[in-house]
Amino acid sequence: MAVLALDILTTAGILFVVSSGLLIILGVMKLINFAHGAFLTVGGYTAYSVSAAGYSPWLSIPAAAIFGFVGGLVVERLIVRPLYDRPLDAILATWGLGIVIGQLITLGFGRGVQFVPTPLAGTTELLGVDYSAYRLVVAIVAVLLVIAMSALLKLTRFGLNARAVIMDETLARGLGIDSTRVRAWTFGIGAALACAAGALITPLLSVDPNMGLPWLVNSFMLVLISGVSFPSLFVASLILGGAQVVVSTYANPILGGMTIVVIAALVLRINPKGFSRG
Amino acid sequence: MGDDRTWATSRFRRAFIGSLIGLAVVAIAPFFLDIYLTSILIRTLFLAAVVMTVDIIWGWVGILTFGQSAFFGIGAYACGLVFTHYGFGPGWALGALAIGLIAAALVAGATGWLAFFHGSSPLYASIMTLALPIILTQVIFSAGTFTGSSSGLSGFPTYYWSLEVWLWIAGVFLVLTTAGGWLLVRSDFGRVMIAIRENELRCAYLGIPVSRIKTALMIAAAIVTAAAGFGYAAFSNVVAPELAGFQLGTEFLIWTALGGRGTLFGPVVAAIGIETTSSWLSGTLPFLWQLLIGVVFVTVIVLLPRGFAPLCTGLWRYVRPKSRPFVLERTLALDSDSRLGQRASIDTPPLLIEQLSRRYGSLHVLTDVTMTARASQLLGIIGPNGAGKTTLMRCISDGNERSDGMVKINGNDIGRASPHKVVEHGVGRSFQNTSLFDSLTIAECLMLARYRLDGAQLFRNKTNLALSQPALDILSATGLDQRLTEQTKNLSHGMKRGLELAMVLASEPSVLLLDEPTAGLTHAERAVIGKVLSRLTREYALCIVLIEHDLDFVREISDRVVVLHQGEILMEGSVDEVVSSELVKSVYAGHQVEAAE
Repeated sequence: MAVLALDILTTAGILFVVSSGLLIILGVMKLINFAHGAFLTVGGYTAYSVSAAGYSPWLSIPAAAIFGFVGGLVVERLIVRPLYDRPLDAILATWGLGIVIGQLITLGFGRGVQFVPTPLAGTTELLGVDYSAYRLVVAIVAVLLVIAMSALLKLTRFGLNARAVIMDETLARGLGIDSTRVRAWTFGIGAALACAAGALITPLLSVDPNMGLPWLVNSFMLVLISGVSFPSLFVASLILGGAQVVVSTYANPILGGMTIVVIAALVLRINPKGFSRG
Repeated sequence: MGDDRTWATSRFRRAFIGSLIGLAVVAIAPFFLDIYLTSILIRTLFLAAVVMTVDIIWGWVGILTFGQSAFFGIGAYACGLVFTHYGFGPGWALGALAIGLIAAALVAGATGWLAFFHGSSPLYASIMTLALPIILTQVIFSAGTFTGSSSGLSGFPTYYWSLEVWLWIAGVFLVLTTAGGWLLVRSDFGRVMIAIRENELRCAYLGIPVSRIKTALMIAAAIVTAAAGFGYAAFSNVVAPELAGFQLGTEFLIWTALGGRGTLFGPVVAAIGIETTSSWLSGTLPFLWQLLIGVVFVTVIVLLPRGFAPLCTGLWRYVRPKSRPFVLERTLALDSDSRLGQRASIDTPPLLIEQLSRRYGSLHVLTDVTMTARASQLLGIIGPNGAGKTTLMRCISDGNERSDGMVKINGNDIGRASPHKVVEHGVGRSFQNTSLFDSLTIAECLMLARYRLDGAQLFRNKTNLALSQPALDILSATGLDQRLTEQTKNLSHGMKRGLELAMVLASEPSVLLLDEPTAGLTHAERAVIGKVLSRLTREYALCIVLIEHDLDFVREISDRVVVLHQGEILMEGSVDEVVSSELVKSVYAGHQVEAAE
């Protein structure tokens, strides 16, 4: 039982960390970034490169974040900005970008599966069971991230501008907020979060050119049912991630793999707004 | 040219000649291609037929579907599973094909039910089509040895015909389905599809059952796709979960986008070209080719959203400037069976509203509105901005809008009916902003308005449009009848207003809801509309509810006036009573209402 509870908690943490980059982009820019999976992969390969170069694995997360931020700004300028008023096309263009990134990684690193050393090996005793220490770290990071992102949106100038753009972009522009810049920064932050998340989760998994893809659909579903708020994304991760763990444990892992998609699709059919605002 | 039959036959003749050319190419192709290329091409032709259906769904109706691969997979697995586990032979093959098609149709119907309902967003529909292949793939994985899990099924018995025969089968399948698709998108029904893509909401208010049409098209596309999947599996003798997967679904979209969505032939050509080349190159430089496709795809989406096909047709027109696109001439006629106004009866009021309320959270936009509008009566609704006038219109024409209360149209409670059902009860609604269908012609817009009454022909075009007398009057008074083949985006504001009104009248309502029909019109245009409206109430016994800001116009034509203020009925009475009322003056002048009460 304790293992199940910890599994649910850490799975929710992983899902939250992986989805948060997608959430901020959807929330502020009303745009679904289908290159999200590829950004996760880039983060994974950054972690791989950092540890292959002999640096501490802990460094890989900030390195991936910086790399993602800069890359995100470039992508926003070249691909996303011309598509603001064509949101469905933006889905396709970012998906195409994902293909390009995946192929570039394949050309650079090969198709094979690589492994990244864990910064924190071994287990820790919690609630009377031995549990993977690194998974617990990821869960803690998730909680810190909820607080940090909420603080970013509530307490900073950027957050104020971003919230103004979320509510009414035309009005925000009328008030002198440079919404183009807000969008560029948002995409940068979203990409940074995605890459950092990729680097964070790689020690739990392996690295290959398609590693981001399975995460894309789940995080996409989670983000859609949680609206624009980070706390509700956390709740969604907890509930749907919990359901996934329960189904995987008691039924079978393959059915567990589709739990999030099925539940999210049904929730959206009943209430198109998902968990946000009731 | 005007005759119905010559047009229909000319369209069919074009499709027939095109198909013959296609079939001839298919017939001789095997003699010019080597074995390797032929076997690639067979698969590609099946895939191209799928891409054609994706183009109809995405390019013409505007549903971004990621899920077409699921139907392809269903067809393929129907073949693989039956031949592997049950038996093989002509009877088994036909049975397996039937199972595949039926299963695909059922799944498409269920997906349509989930994805399309009034108020569902295009993004939501896309998510449903995205979830479909993902769920299906997981189901295939979880079925273990029955489906072969991740490695799929292979080596099952199948027809080892020669490659020529297979190429002919695939080619004939592609040519026939594409010809059918071409006739469909050029037909009157094809115009309805474009209208849904351009302005879905407006379609619903014209009484077009948008969700049902979308679902029906999904089912039809699923059947064609499943048949293609069946052929693909029977030829290649392998089925794998990838055939049902989400990545193949996105590849269909990529080919469609590159070829040019909404052009039908573009995507087919792109699918054949790209897939053949990538199979060709898969041995030598697979990743580089994929990279190139990705780069071209992103570039096309950003810079060339309509794909490569418009470039080709543009070039063609540059070379041969005379070959103008072909516009169907339609003629107007008087509808002798018009039932306009025949529903009117003295006993049941056409519009009855009881204690209607509309709340957005704690904001009360309408509170306890109770009113009756009678036949042969023009009821003006006036009130300052934000009084809830347009919301009231919305609550009458869409059953899901109101929070509380009841609306009865011709004695029928509208319940929670969606707009196209309310239209069936006899409501016609015009909008405050002229929201028409930009790329359709005037004649096509009128045809849309008649969809509920006349339907739309699936593979043909009708050339005569029978309309009721008042609709014809408006068209001739505004000069629209002379420009029937003009696209509506080229019309002036006044003409758009006229067309809007003509369209609502063409749908033969008994309750007419008009939201500022004269906004932005000249005095002369206003007078024309005023005259038509008075005539509609007098001669056709229509019940007209009119929102208007111009008190003079209201005074001229209204029989009764309701004054809305802050979501409540402030006053109701004859025109003179209301206009001379101190209360109304104070509301319009912005004084405190309480003081006047």
